[in-house]
Amino acid sequence: MATKPTVWARLKNQRATWEKIKWTWVPETNREAGDSVVRNFLLHWFPAKVTRQSLSWNYSFWLGTISAVLFLILIVTGIPLMFLYVPSVERAYLSVKDIEFTVSFGWFLRGLHRVSAHLMVAVVFLHLVRVFLAGAYKNGTAAKQNRPLNWIIGITLLLLTLLLSFTGYLLPWDQLAYWAITVGTNIASAAPVVGEQLRFFLLGGSTIDQNTLIRFYVLHCFFLPLGVLLLFSYHMWRVRKDGGLACVDQLSLEQKKENAQPIKSKTYSLLGIASGRTVHVETSIVDEDKHTVASSPNLTRRLLLVSLGTLAVSVVLTVLFRAPLEAAANPTVTPNPAKAPWYFLWLQELVTLTTFTIGGITINGALIGGIFVPGILVVAAIVWPYLDKSPVSTVGVWMARARRRQNIVFLIIVAAILVLTIVGTYLRGPYWDFYWPWQSWPTMPRKF
Amino acid sequence: MFKKDSILLYSFGGVVFIITAIVFWNYYTPEWKGYQNEFQDLVATKFGAEKIQQVPQGLQQIWVEDLNRVDRCTTCHQGMEWKGLDNVAHPFKSHPQEILKKHPLSQYGCTVCHGGQGFATDMESAHGFVEHWEEPLMGKQVSDLYLIKDRRAMMQINCNSCHRYDRETKGADYINQAKQLVAEKNCRACHTINDRGGTIGPDLTYVGDKSPEQYDYSRMLGVKTAFAWHVSHLQNPKALVPETVMPNFGFNSRDAQALGLLVMSWRRTTIPARYLSGVKFSEQQTAEEAEKEKRMLEGEGAFFVKKGCFVCHSVSTLGVESASKIGPDLSEAVTDVQSRFGKQLEDFLNNPTGTMAVVLSTQIILSPEEKREAVEKLKIAYQKKVEQQTQSAAAQNTRPQATPSPSPPKR
Repeated sequence: MATKPTVWARLKNQRATWEKIKWTWVPETNREAGDSVVRNFLLHWFPAKVTRQSLSWNYSFWLGTISAVLFLILIVTGIPLMFLYVPSVERAYLSVKDIEFTVSFGWFLRGLHRVSAHLMVAVVFLHLVRVFLAGAYKNGTAAKQNRPLNWIIGITLLLLTLLLSFTGYLLPWDQLAYWAITVGTNIASAAPVVGEQLRFFLLGGSTIDQNTLIRFYVLHCFFLPLGVLLLFSYHMWRVRKDGGLACVDQLSLEQKKENAQPIKSKTYSLLGIASGRTVHVETSIVDEDKHTVASSPNLTRRLLLVSLGTLAVSVVLTVLFRAPLEAAANPTVTPNPAKAPWYFLWLQELVTLTTFTIGGITINGALIGGIFVPGILVVAAIVWPYLDKSPVSTVGVWMARARRRQNIVFLIIVAAILVLTIVGTYLRGPYWDFYWPWQSWPTMPRKF
Repeated sequence: MFKKDSILLYSFGGVVFIITAIVFWNYYTPEWKGYQNEFQDLVATKFGAEKIQQVPQGLQQIWVEDLNRVDRCTTCHQGMEWKGLDNVAHPFKSHPQEILKKHPLSQYGCTVCHGGQGFATDMESAHGFVEHWEEPLMGKQVSDLYLIKDRRAMMQINCNSCHRYDRETKGADYINQAKQLVAEKNCRACHTINDRGGTIGPDLTYVGDKSPEQYDYSRMLGVKTAFAWHVSHLQNPKALVPETVMPNFGFNSRDAQALGLLVMSWRRTTIPARYLSGVKFSEQQTAEEAEKEKRMLEGEGAFFVKKGCFVCHSVSTLGVESASKIGPDLSEAVTDVQSRFGKQLEDFLNNPTGTMAVVLSTQIILSPEEKREAVEKLKIAYQKKVEQQTQSAAAQNTRPQATPSPSPPKR
């Protein structure tokens, strides 16, 4: 005969549920901590132990992690948006209006997607700046390192991020989108020899139309994210192969100087799949007890913290700054000023500055400012690790003395880009005239 | 090193929680829900609680595919088609019913006439006085800006999107006045309007689409808008454009405002032809065809033209000529009917057989008086036929070779 559960039993049940909710786990031994990483698919790309230095806030600022989290937010918000958005010239703008006004939480999805996209461009760039200033693209002493390659992959990821943002910029099919793409692709057309063909290839024709929209849409939703995913995976794998963050190399160097007792090298193999010496061997040169902590829970907790922090900042910005949607794209009405997306405004500004006429000859600013300068910068960045002959003691050291001169040059370039971006974004008004922040722009006429 | 992490973790978690709460709060308490509740109360007090069930709930929209409009205005303006709400305040006031008869909401929506942003679901965006929305609500707020007393005046710009080719449109007094002025002052002497006119001044056919930035406001006072530019330019062209050759017509401010509205209404539109007033869907008759039909309608055989008999039958002696000639010539009906159907004409019209049974019961329905009239007319036609025949026979006998007739009667 079945009896009704007593009040006590139900209470006990509830207590059990509560226990499940507030469940925590702290490994009791190093072995348990290591096993937890190996056994969990999501964590298996982490080493069992990480140096305290790698986990600190003020070495890496966690910029790479933040970029990855932003990319994750973009995927999560982007997938529902793909179901709601219609990539056709007739419907695109209307479907974005619907997302704004009638789709449940549509405005929030779109806003979060936009905010994360802008943040990702900024954070990926800051990540590059951090890596350069810390000399983290340089190889240390360990074998099989190839950090210059990872630096190049990082630059490619930055370019892909810019392209992702740029292709997404067109999709709402409003005036902002239409004219930003006009400015952007006109700069591309200034490239020598292939310029016009390049523009034709980008637009799928000679004007921005349905062909352009579907091209940008497919790139934005499939090929570019796929490229980022693949390269990001390789980027992370290389970080492990190269022995973790560059600051770890300093620890092993210092340890050598201390003439400490050589630590017994251990041989790990990754579940018996990888052969030969694995990364663990390299990192284990560092005195584990002195410098490292278990990845689980120290790294995982901080990772969650960074993810949550990134999400918190993004959602706050989403609520504070509603995503704009201008009038529907109109090829016959040019907004004044017509601006490229903000991360290309330093180029637009450069184009303006380098367009001038001397003795009847007009210098084509689009060629110099739009093609040569960014082209040279990208090429210089790619080859720089191979030209940088600074000593190994500068690897993973912020603003190292031996790299002072190149860091200053680099910072000047970064500052120039920032200044030009700020000028282009905030100080350029109608007719691309210069306005100080305290000068108000002339009110542009309206129809009614 | 990790001590502060949990504090950060909780604070970030708190931020995300608060934002989530805000987003959900906004989702469950939209502005329009308040209006819908108010409207329900209004209906309950005015018409009784049982009527509440007829009030639709949730987001409402009118989708007019042909006009590419999605208007969600009726989400708050719920009383539009209700009777007995003429004197309540907006947004519940009902729409003037007369104009809705010709412009049903389901086929026109709202914004095509009133302006504003149909997609929007909050008042500020919907009324369109927001950044980047070029077509605000053409109501009091805009009229006040230009000191026009009639708050419906600005809306007439939108009336004229469809009524562009009308001489006069009922209710659009500003536009009518302006159209009259265009004819009186002969604007077409210099300007092309709707493909007709001179080339001294610019073509004005689509001038309403001109970007507001393309006007020079430097010599103008007041608000810098395309409409304001047109109004002051019409009142004194040289003041705004010193080198212009456009004469000063001495328009008063009402004239200038009316013309400004008309000029702003001249836009390129994608309105389907069936929405355009005055557009007919039929092949054009040639001048000869029209002339012939008119002659037939005025002649002796007008009855057969008006009733539609002439579609198949000619009545040659009464001047009625059928284009198709499917049926026999009715001039001889008096005898022809007898020989074909063995009936008197009157009997046949009352009890027709064959094709005529179908025609007279479905397409051409004749009253007893009309039947009598038809018989009388056909008798006259037959008399004439007989006279013609005797005349031509006589003429042939006396002067057989004198004037060769183009179609000699068959023997």
